[in-house]
Amino acid sequence: MNEERKPSAEWPLMQEMGITDREIARHQAFLEFGDEDIQELMSINELAQKYADPIIEDFYKHLLSFEEARAFFPNPELIERVKRAQKAYFRRLTQGEYDQAYIEDRLKIGAVHERIGLPVKLYLGMYTFYLRAVAARLFEAYRDAPERALEAYLSLMKVVFLDIGLAIDTYIYRREQLIRQQQEAMRELPTPVLQVRDRLLILPIVGVLESHRARQLTEQLLNSISATRAKVAILDITGVPIVDSKVANHLLQTVSAARLMGTTVILTGLSPSIAQALVVLGMDLSPVKTTVDLQSGLEEAERLLGYKLIPVGEGMAQM
Amino acid sequence: MKAPILKIGPYLIASLQAELTDTDLLELQDALVEQVGRFRSRGVILDVTTLDVMDSFATRTLRNIAQAVGLRGADAVIAGIRPEVALAMVQLGLDLRLSCVRTTLDLEEALAILDHESKGSGRRG
Repeated sequence: MNEERKPSAEWPLMQEMGITDREIARHQAFLEFGDEDIQELMSINELAQKYADPIIEDFYKHLLSFEEARAFFPNPELIERVKRAQKAYFRRLTQGEYDQAYIEDRLKIGAVHERIGLPVKLYLGMYTFYLRAVAARLFEAYRDAPERALEAYLSLMKVVFLDIGLAIDTYIYRREQLIRQQQEAMRELPTPVLQVRDRLLILPIVGVLESHRARQLTEQLLNSISATRAKVAILDITGVPIVDSKVANHLLQTVSAARLMGTTVILTGLSPSIAQALVVLGMDLSPVKTTVDLQSGLEEAERLLGYKLIPVGEGMAQM
Repeated sequence: MKAPILKIGPYLIASLQAELTDTDLLELQDALVEQVGRFRSRGVILDVTTLDVMDSFATRTLRNIAQAVGLRGADAVIAGIRPEVALAMVQLGLDLRLSCVRTTLDLEEALAILDHESKGSGRRG
């Protein structure tokens, strides 16, 4: 089997995103971007070097007339720097070098834009502006041979779409990375097991309860029961955003396991929407004691444990 | 080996060991159901503290014992299911078989519950 060459450390973004040479080749093949296109692009290079500057100047005039775009350019030096970079990019489009360094740069552009929160519509808008401007100049220059202008234009489109694809990939990659990190953080949210009275535990569950965490929670509860000899445990799910059939099953299992150890579990904090959802799902939670909020859960627990809460004043009066 | 059955006042206590075979369990069942009548016991405690596994046969037998002694007028309590055993049982779906049987943390708790109940029924009766 042909071993796919790993992207080297020289191109950190390619490596991070797992974009291999083969992947790029496939991307180019899908766009039908080949050697003829490179030839076409190089044939208009001389012209492209000339129009890069005026197109960029026009484009920035256009861009900065929109308030939402101006917000990204707080000072004139920045505008100048970005213009320079963009001119260099436009010149590079027709220079026939679409190697790893080129790809890495495209990814970098996507990453930078994602980081500053540049809307995709502005990024794409730049390309349409550019393509329209180039088309006008190409057909002007090849007035006698419009088919040549069209050929070159189509090749330019391909490479532009390759670049857009790469930049958007970076956008998506970064967002997915963020989602993963947040999920990770949520998974690691610990659930404390709190002893509030002799033989009474409270577990406030906050965040998404997925399989791994549910298992951890059950283990924690059972070990705490064994350590504290708890008779009643309150699971408060006020902070659990979604309770689907999977989560409900996890909860049922936890309750059942605790019961095997002789502990009654009271489930508190079922919001109206969660209660309705469980009914629709057909989940039978009848083996579980449920109460509307933590307060009533506590009252129920105290009743089970034989406690009675008496306000100090009343207690004094009775004495 | 045979599981020992201890008699303490109105209760019978059977301590289950890991070495018990299926046959031993069935013998224990017969002995308990018989002795509940002989000693006119009010409660039976099945102590499983030392078990680190509970298979489907053991679970079913425990439930059968509980139901049979129940028919002969004694309350059955399973005491001392360990955390890891409880978790495994739930994952295997064995917990449902015990849904009609009382379970407690340990022997002490089981005795407290039985005492509490017989006091209650005494007052009622």
